[in-house]
Amino acid sequence: MGSLLGNTILALSGAFGLAYFTYRVGTWTRKNLPTPEPIVGGKIDDELDVDNQPVTYPAPPRPERKAQVDTNNTVELVGEMLAQGRYALLLRAQVAENLTPEQLERAQTALDDTMSLVPHGEVLMLPSSNVDEEYDSQSSEGELILIEPLFLDRHPVTNKQFHEFVWAGGYEQMSFWDPEIWPGFIDFVDQTDHPGPRGWSDGMYPNGRGDHPVVGVSWYEAVAFSRWVGKRLPSDPEWVKAAAWPVSVDGRKPLQKRFSWGNSFDPNRANVWSTGKNDTVSVYEFDEGVSPGGAYGLNGNVWEWTSTNYGVWDNHRFEMSTPFKSVRGGAFDSYFEAHATSQFQSGEVPVARKHNIGFRCAIGLCDVVNGFNIDNADDDVLATYAVTT
Amino acid sequence: MTAKGVLSMDSYRLAQYSVQVPCYICEGGNAFDTAICRHCCAPMALAHQAKSQKQDPRVIAAIGASASGKTVYLGMLTDMLSQPGQALQLVARGAFSISLQQSTVSALEKCCFPEKTPTEPDQWNWVHCQVRKSKQRVPIELVVPDIAGEALAEEIDHPGTFPVIASLLSKCQGIFMIIDAARMAEGFKDQEFFAMKMLAYLSELDDHPKKGWRDKPIAFVLTKADECELCFDDPVNFAREHSPGLWQQCQERFARHQIFASGVAGACTYRTLSMGIRTRVPLRIEPRGITEPFLWLIQQLK
Repeated sequence: MGSLLGNTILALSGAFGLAYFTYRVGTWTRKNLPTPEPIVGGKIDDELDVDNQPVTYPAPPRPERKAQVDTNNTVELVGEMLAQGRYALLLRAQVAENLTPEQLERAQTALDDTMSLVPHGEVLMLPSSNVDEEYDSQSSEGELILIEPLFLDRHPVTNKQFHEFVWAGGYEQMSFWDPEIWPGFIDFVDQTDHPGPRGWSDGMYPNGRGDHPVVGVSWYEAVAFSRWVGKRLPSDPEWVKAAAWPVSVDGRKPLQKRFSWGNSFDPNRANVWSTGKNDTVSVYEFDEGVSPGGAYGLNGNVWEWTSTNYGVWDNHRFEMSTPFKSVRGGAFDSYFEAHATSQFQSGEVPVARKHNIGFRCAIGLCDVVNGFNIDNADDDVLATYAVTT
Repeated sequence: MTAKGVLSMDSYRLAQYSVQVPCYICEGGNAFDTAICRHCCAPMALAHQAKSQKQDPRVIAAIGASASGKTVYLGMLTDMLSQPGQALQLVARGAFSISLQQSTVSALEKCCFPEKTPTEPDQWNWVHCQVRKSKQRVPIELVVPDIAGEALAEEIDHPGTFPVIASLLSKCQGIFMIIDAARMAEGFKDQEFFAMKMLAYLSELDDHPKKGWRDKPIAFVLTKADECELCFDDPVNFAREHSPGLWQQCQERFARHQIFASGVAGACTYRTLSMGIRTRVPLRIEPRGITEPFLWLIQQLK
């Protein structure tokens, strides 16, 4: 069974096998990379609560890592994948049926702890030039999009999580990367020419920033990471659905929140320019900035890549040599609070590795085994599930 | 109204008209109720406010080629310094001083750039403000005009076309030299040539070894640096590599200068409007390196 499971996982994580990128310039190898920080579960570095005790947050159980994992040993492999945050792969129907109940439960617990549910429903997508008219339910502007239920990461992907990907050789496994970017792949290096985000050095994130959202990653790197953990980037409407939490009344266009917590900006709930932090903060800060579904930090701190092209909701024609990808949510240096709303859309070249763009991952509810059969679950069940999780 | 009353009022007014009020910029005489100087088109409010404060305002100008980003830079600067918690606090004097800030911020918030500054001097925005450091008791009175790039170019090529520019630059204690870094990065030389001509113009305007432009502070602001991250990483090296002629001229002729990188938009693209008009639009606003040149310039003022 172990061999079968190992083979299945390998087939999923790399559709055509794990082919190493032999033409890469440089002598970087996994051995040369620094050992990751000790695993601290959900504890935040240097953060103390009111009693001066370290603040802890729920995190998936993470067994001790071994230098080499025997892929034929199911226990080790599952443990390794849980430690890496790749539980979504374990919850694929093909894999889940080979897991023990205890392993499945651990994977499901990890999913519940780290992902929020976005229920099925419609979301109103407005043109970027018309973001302030979202309350006008009579307006003819905008397009209603139906969203299938999905899980969305509660927090943006952190440096620590992305380091797992780098350390596991994610930049060398070409099956995670779109072929179109292979020629430009050589530019995806850090300040010391090691594979990794732009602001890192020697394949390692800056000291003390393990829980900060990873930034300096292109859209392609975000996609590759998402594939590695068995997820994907959210589409533009999915992201807006999670943040704006639309509510339809009397069949009219849905009412949508400007910010994930409500309609008024609150500097205690989002890290933007007026907050005065002038830098990214830990994804666990601003914990009052939470959506009804339980996703944190959707507004402010970092822009988040989505899988959709920029400008698709606009009437105006944009001239871009390369299609921009949509980014959402605003960042720590967003000057206008109106640019950090749930509805505001900005765009960026997919190869750009900006200091204020990160991402979070999503996965369709139908893509994972999660304790109940989605085909038989109606909206009320999903809504209840969203509230309880 | 009786004839007696009319006569009395006219006499009073005639008395006021008999005294000429000098323009703060060009020092040309104007009637007491003139709004804009009839010689140079500077707002006469500057002269009235300077007189009432008994303190001569310092003048700082932003100069640069057309569309290099002067209006956006100055508008963003005034708005940022108007926010609480800044190292320097700016308070506008007179309603006209808020127009630049208002028009710039309103446009940027809607993801548009502000309208091009008209060439006519009477259409320019002027900012008269007080700038105060956190522990400073007496604020600095400051006048910052937003000059049109076309007017500057015309004045350089045909001196005397816009008398206000010569008067203004003679009065300046320091300047922002605004240069479009994105255009420089693309290999175009127009920004460099314009800056070199502007510096040559300044040198000729006042070549006094101690009081002239040789010893006045010049902040070179490389705008739109968000489109070329290398400029942010090392603006001095960027300037040296992309504008060697300008770099050499600065070293030779100007003792006090500093190079800065700045950016306001996080990303830009072109949008075609319904009438077929192609316009450049910012996709989000993330100001970087805006206040640093100003802080340096204020420190350098004698």
